[in-house]
Amino acid sequence: MGHFSRLRLPSDTHMTTHWKFASRALALSCLCLTLLQPLAAQRHDVDVAVVVHPDTPITNLSMSEVRKVFLGDRQYWSPNIPVVLLIRAPVARERDVVLKVIYQMSEAQFKQYWIAKIFRAESATAPKVVYSNDMANQLVTAIPGAIAFIDSKDVKPGAKVLRVEGRLPGEAGYPLR
Amino acid sequence: MGSRCLLSLLFALTTSMLLAQSPASAPPTEPTLQSLLDRIQQLENRINQLEDRERRQEAAPAGTPLAPETTTPAPVTTPAAVPGPTASHEDHFSTGEIRDTERRFPSLQIRGFGDVDFSATDQKGSVSGFNLGQLVLHLASPLSEKVSYFGEISFTAQPTSYELSVERSIIRYDYNDYFKLSFGKYHTPLGYWNTAFHHGAWLQTTITRPEMIQFGGTFIPTHFVGVEAEGNIPSGGLGLGYNVGLGNGRSSILSKSGDSGDSNDNRSWVANLYARPTRFYGLQLGASVYRDKLTPQPGRNFEEWITAADVVWTKEKPEFLAEYANVHHRDVLTLNTWDSQAFYVQLAYRLPWQQSKWKPYYRYEYIHKPEDDPTLVNVLDLSGSTFGVRYDITNYAAFKGEYRNSRHGVNEPRVNGAFFQTAFTF
Repeated sequence: MGHFSRLRLPSDTHMTTHWKFASRALALSCLCLTLLQPLAAQRHDVDVAVVVHPDTPITNLSMSEVRKVFLGDRQYWSPNIPVVLLIRAPVARERDVVLKVIYQMSEAQFKQYWIAKIFRAESATAPKVVYSNDMANQLVTAIPGAIAFIDSKDVKPGAKVLRVEGRLPGEAGYPLR
Repeated sequence: MGSRCLLSLLFALTTSMLLAQSPASAPPTEPTLQSLLDRIQQLENRINQLEDRERRQEAAPAGTPLAPETTTPAPVTTPAAVPGPTASHEDHFSTGEIRDTERRFPSLQIRGFGDVDFSATDQKGSVSGFNLGQLVLHLASPLSEKVSYFGEISFTAQPTSYELSVERSIIRYDYNDYFKLSFGKYHTPLGYWNTAFHHGAWLQTTITRPEMIQFGGTFIPTHFVGVEAEGNIPSGGLGLGYNVGLGNGRSSILSKSGDSGDSNDNRSWVANLYARPTRFYGLQLGASVYRDKLTPQPGRNFEEWITAADVVWTKEKPEFLAEYANVHHRDVLTLNTWDSQAFYVQLAYRLPWQQSKWKPYYRYEYIHKPEDDPTLVNVLDLSGSTFGVRYDITNYAAFKGEYRNSRHGVNEPRVNGAFFQTAFTF
């Protein structure tokens, strides 16, 4: 009975201990939040750069032009430079952004789209899959006409970053994030 | 103790809830189970490929080049695709992976389509049962940066055997996006459906094509043998494109194209203009004209003019397809004319639940033909509705169930039917 009454009506000493614990826990949680939230935000807010081979004769694309390129409706930068699409493998954030913003398709729809595109003889090949941003960086600088989406913080020197709607990654209003 | 646990729980919940809020405003990156499984499968395939390559490399004599992973003949690699010697060893991929992304010529890709069907109707004399639909093989092979080959072969079950048919066989030279020239056998670029879904039942939402463009039908020539030019038209946001073709036209059997030669000394031609406005991503508008001279019997000639128009919204929420065609025939001898019309309207919607696997649809189709048109003798008037649902079992297989209510011919009773299909690609 004494035990229950102590729980229902705690003494001042117990109350103080609980408050101390509670205030420490709250302070700790605030600290954790302060530290973790920017990390979480950083993961989701970094812009995705549109990167092309340095010799590609283009510096700026509108969103509809980016879409046209990635839909395979535009297949040549110039008569001698075919577009070579590079796209990250599933689960990569860059792929999520491309599917959501550019294609506006689910993973299943994206796969079906390219099967149909080749079946219709509108394109001879599907986008090539790259497994890391390092690989994307390397290939986009090695293959003439290549274009890829790379997390802007992972873009390496030598790659050519395109403006999209006149804006570079990091600038206000950049549409790919 | 209980309070401590409660506070710890509160702390954990608060932290996780607040952290969970941040992806809601940003693009979600949490992988779905399916995408993770896909990824695992992909990585496993990759490991298998690399192990295979290693084994082959060990088995092959020193200096022998590696075989391509994809398919068939000996590849010729474009030198430009090989990365320079400056490639850093810090990169987390091997030269083998780079080789995978090089273009090789020829590089044959084969994809198959198949379907198995069941049908039952209340039409007098009809028999219910299963049938093996078409087995279709599609071939695509870039022969160089500018030249590609596309082929489509179908195997259709017949009472005593299988009918093999070359549905498409095209070799195409791409000059640029505005001009691509090809030769061979095509699906006639007349309207939308005929060049969008071809023989791949898995690609189309419904079990069958609309009757106006049925394979083996005569209302519209579905195949075309000859030469075709296609490409985009510089038009800014309008997104214009074209197809122009010159060919043999229909053979004396109107449902067939002149694969082995023209049935008369007269070329047919087709022109198709379409728009994909960039402002309305998913919308396509098209108009087509087809001109031919038919000789169904020696000494009987008919001029044929087909005009068609289509409006489609290709996104699946909703999907909207509508086509209209008018077929005009004129007897060269008597100058009698006949006009036949057909259209269909199809509406579908990909439901958001259960990983968007369900897609209900409805189609109405209509055909009217003058009774005395001597050319379209096998075409019957049609007024019919189709209600159905498609369920995507996986990314590469679907199950479809349909109820159809239609009337073929004038003053004929309406026929009800239930149809089922599993369609897949492999």
